[in-house]
Amino acid sequence: MTIQDFRNILPLLIIAAASVLLLVLIAARRNHRLACWLAGLALAGAFATSLFPSGTMPQAVGGLLAIDGFSLFYSALLSAAGLVVVLLSYPYLQPLREQMEEYYVLILLAVLGAVILAASRHFASFFLGLELLSASLYALIGYLVKSRDRSVEAGVKYLILAAASAAFLLFGMALVYFETGVLGFSDIGVHLAQAGALSPLAIAGFGLIIVGIGFKLALVPFHMWAADVYEGAPAPVSALVATVSKGGVVALLLRFYNEAGGYQFPSLTLLFALFAAASMLGGNLLALLQDNVKRILAYSSIAHLGYLAVAFLAGGKMGAGAATFYLVAYFVTILGAFGIVAHLSSGEEEAERVSDYRALFWRRPWAAAAFTAMLLSLAGIPLTAGFMGKFYIAAAGVEGGLWALLFILVASSVIGLYYYLRIVVAMFSQAEEQKPVKLRLFSGAGLILALLVVALVWLGISPQAMMGWINQWVAG
Amino acid sequence: MTPTFIEQGMLLAAVLFCLGLAGLLIRRNIIFMLLSVEIMLNAAGLAFILGGARWGSADGQAMFIFILAMAAAEVSVGLALILKIFQKYKTLDTDEINRMNG
Repeated sequence: MTIQDFRNILPLLIIAAASVLLLVLIAARRNHRLACWLAGLALAGAFATSLFPSGTMPQAVGGLLAIDGFSLFYSALLSAAGLVVVLLSYPYLQPLREQMEEYYVLILLAVLGAVILAASRHFASFFLGLELLSASLYALIGYLVKSRDRSVEAGVKYLILAAASAAFLLFGMALVYFETGVLGFSDIGVHLAQAGALSPLAIAGFGLIIVGIGFKLALVPFHMWAADVYEGAPAPVSALVATVSKGGVVALLLRFYNEAGGYQFPSLTLLFALFAAASMLGGNLLALLQDNVKRILAYSSIAHLGYLAVAFLAGGKMGAGAATFYLVAYFVTILGAFGIVAHLSSGEEEAERVSDYRALFWRRPWAAAAFTAMLLSLAGIPLTAGFMGKFYIAAAGVEGGLWALLFILVASSVIGLYYYLRIVVAMFSQAEEQKPVKLRLFSGAGLILALLVVALVWLGISPQAMMGWINQWVAG
Repeated sequence: MTPTFIEQGMLLAAVLFCLGLAGLLIRRNIIFMLLSVEIMLNAAGLAFILGGARWGSADGQAMFIFILAMAAAEVSVGLALILKIFQKYKTLDTDEINRMNG
């Protein structure tokens, strides 16, 4: 590798170096605040070096990584999401009696895995990035061993199912490798274009890879882990699972499909269309039955990944742009929603039942207002980021002629309104007994949440700036 | 290696994978579920080695070493979590540990 290569992968190097440094620091002296600062600075550094790359683009680093506008945009997005999670974690973990410092090492490693996924162009880096992400998530989900009963249970559930999905993915890769003899995405694309049609072995291989990816994105029918994991994990970790883990895999899927030429095979497209439809309907219908806010958000995120799959299926530059914009809007919204849950949680009790939010507006007006904004954006009400995201998806879907999927998207969004508004109504309902109004205008987490609300409204009112960047970086 | 040998090997890999999957679905003890997943991973590893043999390249073997390393990392985290589960519930039966559903 040359100096130029090292400059290109600077965001990856910063996160990796910070995680090692943090481990050494923990061995010397435990300090929660210092660990949080170091992790936050590293992620901010990765964000800055992704936005202002010092190398020349686009650049292939070895056969494994591609550093181009696409991967740098996603690496900035994922680092920013990781930074928000770190900042939300500090006040959440502070009152607990746990060893908190390793938590930040794991978050750094999870973000590193996702960034590698976004940049990978080879099965080996795909697999390594995915496993780096998964292995850190096992530990993060089960992190609160002492203070939360369900945390370890959720960790083990995720471990068994994620390991099984990794086995599916690997077996699929092995079949594709057996058939084509190459592991790089673009080499596979060349091979498939020459072959013309897919052989049965290649179809089986791609099918297994899609199962593995579908599991990570929690698409129906591979969604069974999502609700339990979101409920059991600490709230900031649920936010990490919903954003960084899914975002990295979406980035990988977009690149893999484009370079391997997956769009030319109708059987694969049909499979994805079925998953997308099942996720949109299944996620929204199952959410109706829930009484736990974290579970509602879990099913809501299943439905949102279904919407995103529509943009992905539309294909082309417009599809990639719409998918990326939707992902940005989804990141802002879901980080905000879990941020509110984490913010309202006190010590060992999380604010997770809908009844915990009853009359919240009269007790914590600012938190209730922010949560309302997030929920309206998830529902896709105009003037929010979620609405513009759906708008771009619909435009891309019309372009691609996906009428059936668009119809399901609209119908399931209407179903979704019901459970989002149920929480909103609970928050604004009158309290039975008058509790003293507690106004906490300013705190670290409050500032982050306020910024997320601003971003949400900004994306909803004038999306052109963000869409311009996306077109320039991702589709350009 | 002859082509028939490689084909039989792929068949073996597929059988191993299905055995692991069946074990994962049937078994109720977490340790056995983890073992079944390991069998599935090794089936994938075998398929990679056979792919490498078919094309005469070392890529398949490199992937196998990655799989070994990843499986080891996964088992170490998994066993740590299983220890915690056992301390808490005094059982490894997944039906009894399952508190969340819906």
